[in-house]
Amino acid sequence: MKRKKIQASGIVNSPLETKSQAKARQDGLRSVTEGRLRTYDPSADNVRSFLNLLATKITRPLVVSLTACVHCGMCAESCHYFLARPDDPTMTPVYKADQIRRIFKRHMDWTGRVIPWWVHALRPRDDEDLNRLKNIVFGACSACRRCTMNCPMGVDTALLVRFTRGLLTELGIVPEGVFNVSRDQWETGNQMAVTEADYLETLEWMKEEAGAELGISDLDIPVDKPDCNFLYTINPREIKFDPRSIANAAKVFHFAGESWTLPRWGWDQTNFGLYSGDDALGGYVARNVYEAAERLRAGRIVISECGHGYRSTRWEGYNWAGFDQKIPTESVVVTLMRYIDKGRIKVDPSRNLDSVTFHDSCNIARSGGLVEEPRRVLKKVCADFREMIPNRRENYCCTGGGGLLSMAEYRPLRLESARIKADQLRATGAKLVCTMCHNCIDGLTDVIRHYKLDMKVVQVLDLVANALVVPPGNPAGRP
Amino acid sequence: MNDTLRILENEVQIGALLFLTAAYAARLFWLFRFRARRERTHAEGSALRGVGYSLVNIAMPWAMESTRKKPGLYAQFVVFHLGVTAAIAATFIIPYAPGLFEIQPVVRVFQGLMGAAFVVGIFRLVRRLSTPALRLISTADDYISLLLMILFFAAGIMAVPNTPWKSEWPLLFFFGLTAFFLVYVPFSKISHYLYYPFARYFLGKTLGHRGVIPPGRRSTRDAGDDEEESGSHP
Repeated sequence: MKRKKIQASGIVNSPLETKSQAKARQDGLRSVTEGRLRTYDPSADNVRSFLNLLATKITRPLVVSLTACVHCGMCAESCHYFLARPDDPTMTPVYKADQIRRIFKRHMDWTGRVIPWWVHALRPRDDEDLNRLKNIVFGACSACRRCTMNCPMGVDTALLVRFTRGLLTELGIVPEGVFNVSRDQWETGNQMAVTEADYLETLEWMKEEAGAELGISDLDIPVDKPDCNFLYTINPREIKFDPRSIANAAKVFHFAGESWTLPRWGWDQTNFGLYSGDDALGGYVARNVYEAAERLRAGRIVISECGHGYRSTRWEGYNWAGFDQKIPTESVVVTLMRYIDKGRIKVDPSRNLDSVTFHDSCNIARSGGLVEEPRRVLKKVCADFREMIPNRRENYCCTGGGGLLSMAEYRPLRLESARIKADQLRATGAKLVCTMCHNCIDGLTDVIRHYKLDMKVVQVLDLVANALVVPPGNPAGRP
Repeated sequence: MNDTLRILENEVQIGALLFLTAAYAARLFWLFRFRARRERTHAEGSALRGVGYSLVNIAMPWAMESTRKKPGLYAQFVVFHLGVTAAIAATFIIPYAPGLFEIQPVVRVFQGLMGAAFVVGIFRLVRRLSTPALRLISTADDYISLLLMILFFAAGIMAVPNTPWKSEWPLLFFFGLTAFFLVYVPFSKISHYLYYPFARYFLGKTLGHRGVIPPGRRSTRDAGDDEEESGSHP
């Protein structure tokens, strides 16, 4: 029998203590002093706390996913990390999930408690073991859920990874980037620490830009307007780096004759709680949005193009916040589809002549169920739409998911695993890759740059705005 | 038939089966002690359809990339589990419907199924030992459970002719192993069939509710649907 040699990866070992945490304690940040944002305490019995948290926070679906795995290995080749590193067995989803599974077995499962060696049950010895666990669940998995969809038993490995991240977050054992973004979201209500003044100024600026471009004076980007058809929520990245997406949305909403508003508070639909596994943060951010919609008596919540924002606001947030959904909550792509289907806006596909392929965001396709809607829109606004293979629920992660874009220490491994995505993109021969996720924009841009692909990343709204046929009589109308 | 074999085929099996039932009841009681989450969102799909799809997923090798791309492994899975079914059925047929194994073609079918499963079991063991990714995660339980199954198939092949007048050893071996299995299974990975419906249920419920599965559904977000749903406020 031929036995292949195991080449272990030596997963990046980032340190336990970070400067950001020390500074946050020193500055006496409210989120830290009130105990909402945890920092690492080397003098505490973190292993004991970890085990206690495991016992108190675990749910039935998690227990089932922890006990049902038969170690068949069928998940291995669904993971872009393993596909990029086929000789490294520590890259398989089952190995990563086993790191929490063996602790669960040692602590809670009958066989593991009595004869631990029989089932590889193991208790973490010290904080370094917890740190190693951190580097696996944060650094070697984008929680894309592709392995879950390919598990014959139905084991939800992505759920286990998020759960483990959450336990470590409670102990402050997190990558520096995760701590920083969580801190900003706790402290300012948005993950990029955008001030209210910056927010309002950017909206005003975009209103003027879009109005001037179209030559119309009544184009509005309303803020805190009550009784609108919908409340529009955005990604702070749009304010900081990509405000054109807000202008594009405003243009489309204007020509659709829409009654809409942005809230002054509760506008950030992104949610780092999804990535850090911190349900309390997740609930806090999501509740801000839901309460803004209630306060303004909006008819629905519309979420701008963002993968984890969509999943968090549409699905997970209501559960984290303990908030029963009362009004429809949808992606702006669904809103766009409705406008086109009902003839509220006219589009001309000949205005987007470049070949376009579509990248499904993991959080939207595998965890959100939106797969046909963006395609329906793209086929109406693009002259040359082509699918990448595989697609829809089987698409590969952009490799920036799971919050990995904020964790610089894991970037080399992430880009190595991105070879799978790069090959997939290259095979389409498309000039543009469209995605409905801001995280994927950055993830794909990294892939394109690193693997020198001749492509650009766009969003659905960009293409719709470009294809928009301005009604006759409008100064900006094209023949 | 001597008394040892008679007791082993009947009282011992029943006792072991009762033990298995009690252990599983305890296991389910343990499982249900953990809280389940209440879903607070409006559905886009159907949790019920999702659960149904998820539960029969295993019978649709085309549904998952992992089975679609590895038809050989899927075929092994089918053969192995048909062998398990045949072996378990034999433990009931021999004491309670022995006439069935007086029909030679039936004996041959059972032996064929268990023989094929025996070969697959060997393949699986070789795969587990030779694939680094599998070797790394494999536990003593994984190896011993597989070895026991291989042994069980071999014992089954010898036992199903059911000819104690020629030699009782094959039957003693088969039923001895069966009794051991019934006691061992609740503590081993072989119990995966107990968790399978629950794992599939939870996954199907979540993803079905969101409209992720079943795939290929028509979008429920058609213009008319949304207009109707909206408007709790102007």
